[in-house]
Amino acid sequence: METDTCLQTAAELLAPWAQETIEPEPGRVDVVVAPGDLVAAAHALMDARWGYLTAITGLDPGEEDGRLEALYHFACGAAIVTLRVRVPRAQPAVPSLIGVIPSVSFYERELMEMFGIVVEGTPNTDRLFLPEDWPDGVYPLRKDFRMEQLGG
Amino acid sequence: MTLKLDQSWQAALDKLKTWARLNSPWAIHFNSGSCNGCDIEILATLTPRYDVERLGIKLQGSPRHADVLICTGPVTRQARDRLVRIYEQMPEPKFVIAVGSCALSGGAFRGCYNILGGIDQVIPVDVYVPGCPPRPEAIIDGVVKLLAKLRGDNPSDTPVVFDPDSAGEAAILAGEDPVEDLAHAQREEEAIA
Repeated sequence: METDTCLQTAAELLAPWAQETIEPEPGRVDVVVAPGDLVAAAHALMDARWGYLTAITGLDPGEEDGRLEALYHFACGAAIVTLRVRVPRAQPAVPSLIGVIPSVSFYERELMEMFGIVVEGTPNTDRLFLPEDWPDGVYPLRKDFRMEQLGG
Repeated sequence: MTLKLDQSWQAALDKLKTWARLNSPWAIHFNSGSCNGCDIEILATLTPRYDVERLGIKLQGSPRHADVLICTGPVTRQARDRLVRIYEQMPEPKFVIAVGSCALSGGAFRGCYNILGGIDQVIPVDVYVPGCPPRPEAIIDGVVKLLAKLRGDNPSDTPVVFDPDSAGEAAILAGEDPVEDLAHAQREEEAIA
């Protein structure tokens, strides 16, 4: 019951920015927000002390879809709320959450190097996990990644 | 400095060098991307439960003091140059033991964007010890096989692979010598386990 209360509170908090709300499974709610509304939505959750950011993940639905997704997972007890931000594949950019959650830097660096989604306004844009000799503009977790792109 | 000796003296010297080498192979351990499973087994091999130091096998801190490079894990793109540098710092003659499935072929990580494959993609390997992770007995057997090869019991240049069914086969080698001691110790451990 507590989980349901948490999810309901989150849904109410995020209502002003929600473009679409999906329930992928019990205990989870995915809320689609526009890239411009991301910071405000995260602020709403943080200001209400609703849980914490557990991870940022990326999603590449394939080239024909023409989009990439950045997923911001917030958890409160067993309840998980995911902010889904859909960005065009040609120019993927999301705003940084560094002003709301200072520890977000590592997640954003990982998102940038693995998916090539530009995080605007994040203070550190260095690579985090990829090797030093990794070529620019090659993103290993995208669907169209091929080993041949790495050269010898 | 090159010392010019006539054949019989050279043969005697070579024999002495081989004897010394067999008695105390010094090793260095390098993890080029392992999950640490194999590293823990190598530590178990070295620490008192199996205690190979009593047989002269000693872990060295510097590759410049080591005869044997014990490698674990697949080779990541980031680790390739480091692995080659460590290998090149070792004095000749040098030997490489690849420990674990990942060191052999890349294992679970094979085909991943940051993985080059097994150790033999980067440096030559003398002994392959499969397992995920291999037991300390298997690692000891790998060392035994390497020493047997060094002594010339395995004249072919093809690498040797640990075979669990014939574990301790090196024990059939006659006489008391380090290889026999090691194989004996290994049999003892197997009896305990």
